[in-house]
Amino acid sequence: MNLLEIKGISKIYGNVKALQNVDLEVKRGEWLAVMGPSGSGKTTMMNIIGCMDKPTEGAVILDGKDISKESARSLTATRREKIGLIFQQFHLIHYLTAVENIMVAQYYHSMPDEDEALRALDRVGLLERAKHLPSQLSGGEQQRVCIARALINYPMLILADEPTGNLDEANEGIVMDLFRQLHEEGSTIVVVTHDPEVAEEAQRTVVLEHGRVARIAYNVIAPPIIL
Amino acid sequence: MFWRLIRGALFRQKGKMLMIAFTIALGASLATAMLNVMLDVGDKVNQELKTYGANIQVIPKEASLLGDLYGLGEDSGAAERYLRESELGSLKTIFWAFNIVDFAPYLNVRAQLLDESPDAAKTGGEEIRLVGAWFAKHLDLPTGESVDTGMRNMKSWWEVDGEWLTDADEDAAMAGSLLAERAGLAAGDRIRVGAQGGTRELTITGIFNAGSDEDERLYVPLKTAQAMAGRAGVVSSVEVSALTTPDNELSRRAAQNPKSLSTKEWETWYCTAYVSAICYQIEEALGDSVAKPIRQVAESEGAILEKTQLLMLLITILSLAGSALGISNLVTAGVMERSREIGLLKALGANNAPVSWLVLTEVLLTGAVGGAAGYFAGLGFAQIIGHTVFGSAISIKPMVIPLVGLLVLAVILAGSIPSIRLLLSLRPAEVLHGR
Ligand SMILES: Nc1ncnc2c1ncn2[C@@H]1O[C@H](COP(=O)(O)OP(=O)(O)OP(=O)(O)O)[C@@H](O)[C@H]1O
Ligand SMILES: [Mg+2]
Repeated sequence: MNLLEIKGISKIYGNVKALQNVDLEVKRGEWLAVMGPSGSGKTTMMNIIGCMDKPTEGAVILDGKDISKESARSLTATRREKIGLIFQQFHLIHYLTAVENIMVAQYYHSMPDEDEALRALDRVGLLERAKHLPSQLSGGEQQRVCIARALINYPMLILADEPTGNLDEANEGIVMDLFRQLHEEGSTIVVVTHDPEVAEEAQRTVVLEHGRVARIAYNVIAPPIIL
Repeated sequence: MFWRLIRGALFRQKGKMLMIAFTIALGASLATAMLNVMLDVGDKVNQELKTYGANIQVIPKEASLLGDLYGLGEDSGAAERYLRESELGSLKTIFWAFNIVDFAPYLNVRAQLLDESPDAAKTGGEEIRLVGAWFAKHLDLPTGESVDTGMRNMKSWWEVDGEWLTDADEDAAMAGSLLAERAGLAAGDRIRVGAQGGTRELTITGIFNAGSDEDERLYVPLKTAQAMAGRAGVVSSVEVSALTTPDNELSRRAAQNPKSLSTKEWETWYCTAYVSAICYQIEEALGDSVAKPIRQVAESEGAILEKTQLLMLLITILSLAGSALGISNLVTAGVMERSREIGLLKALGANNAPVSWLVLTEVLLTGAVGGAAGYFAGLGFAQIIGHTVFGSAISIKPMVIPLVGLLVLAVILAGSIPSIRLLLSLRPAEVLHGR
């Protein structure tokens, strides 16, 4: 069963066609990579899937519900309940400690629970850094806090827009290990990336060009060469 | 969590929050000062104006008629008509007694300043205007109360070289500066003054400078003047200083002809401290008298009071509007700086209301601190204004506290509107990807 179905969506900004008639399906438990040159519409698509934007045309069916016509308020609720967001720039609140940054997500979801937040930090290997501010953490560590925050409310769908874009290779490895674990545990993951090595970890890669789906590659055994 | 967010934001934006607190403190202090002064200023302005003299003059009815018919002045001697000194206490028993701040009776006597040498007395000396008056007279009223009233309060701006007269010292006199110069008088001199009722030796206690034609006169206690005129218990005029309500259409009509009013209008007029109503009641209290407003002063009193209060109201409104504008800039700038953080909260699932609350709570907390500081600073300002402008302390009105509180709240809310609008329009998709 598909967790996500995108049916003929377009997104038009003035005279820029960021997305044109895109169709895409994502199964529950699938790990999907999205690639494409800069300006091809990857972030635009992620924003629409992540309930932060609405398509100009077409339908987006998430967990059996069409979210393309929902009000801003119910989009916020859907995002809160079903989506976990991971950003290229981490977006941690810099005056809150690592554990507090995770608790903010709990606070707006339901109730802050410090023990649970600490367990999430433990999971990304940062338990002993719980009381540190983001400025005291390395880029890779900050991204792990961001991942822990994305996971804290048990989202159905994890969206990561260039999660390794700002990381060196060692940290990229740590983050990819986490994604692999999540995938093995059954999480549905969509990762936007410019890096073929990141993409080849996924089961399937969608390549966007000029706002259209250019091709879809299945990385079943050996990853195909894309580009 | 909410408080951790607030604390973090307050702590991190210390500079901006201090600016906001300062802006609110400024507005609140001006509002506090102005409101305190405004509520106190009615009395203050009236007391201030009172020092510029009486606003009602009472003279005998026949004297007034003659004056009107022939244009004869009070000193012409054509009108040998008097008011009775014994009735004066009743001025403080009329309906508007509390509005009558001071009053002083006068008795004009034609007299000659005689030379020191005994033979010169026969030839007669220079004509002078001798005036008997009350200076700081203590009156026990039939109601059991007592008042102290007289020229000393009413002519408080007179510059006296020497001592003011007292009512008890009946052989003393006080000379106007022009008279003193002409006749070569100084404090401590002894003079002889003759009039219809006899000749008296008087000691000059002081030379005064009034800046008016009063400087030509010689003042003595009322008793002395009555003795010298040979007329006990009379006065020729009374000056009254009363607190009045500014004139309006009703009071002007009443002043022309009280009988033209309807019963209802009459009651309104009678029970309002219009100068004409007070005059009317004075006439009722003193037999055969005519009370007239000394127009310019009476009118300007009310007008200045109204204008001063209007001015203060304007300053208050402007300063509050100014601080609302100031904080609206600061808060909006703060929201803009934090747009990523706010976008993130929204992306994490926060609705508009909780995020708005967050920002509003920060500003309200800051504003409360600023408002409290401003309130106390404003009390200081009020005292400074009181001392420099009115020469006395401003009494602090507790009702200003809730008033300023409400105003500060209104200013904060009004000042936060633009930033809240910005915050509502902030879309996480846009700010989080740095567009
Ligand atoms: N809010 C917007 N207003 C106008 N144009 C926009 C807006 N958002 C995106 N675009 C345009 O839509 C197109 C797709 O943008 P998008 O950010 O989705 O690209 P991307 O594939 O994520 O690129 P990158 O790899 O550089 O992140 C671009 O041409 C961009 O300029
Ligand atoms: Mg992008």
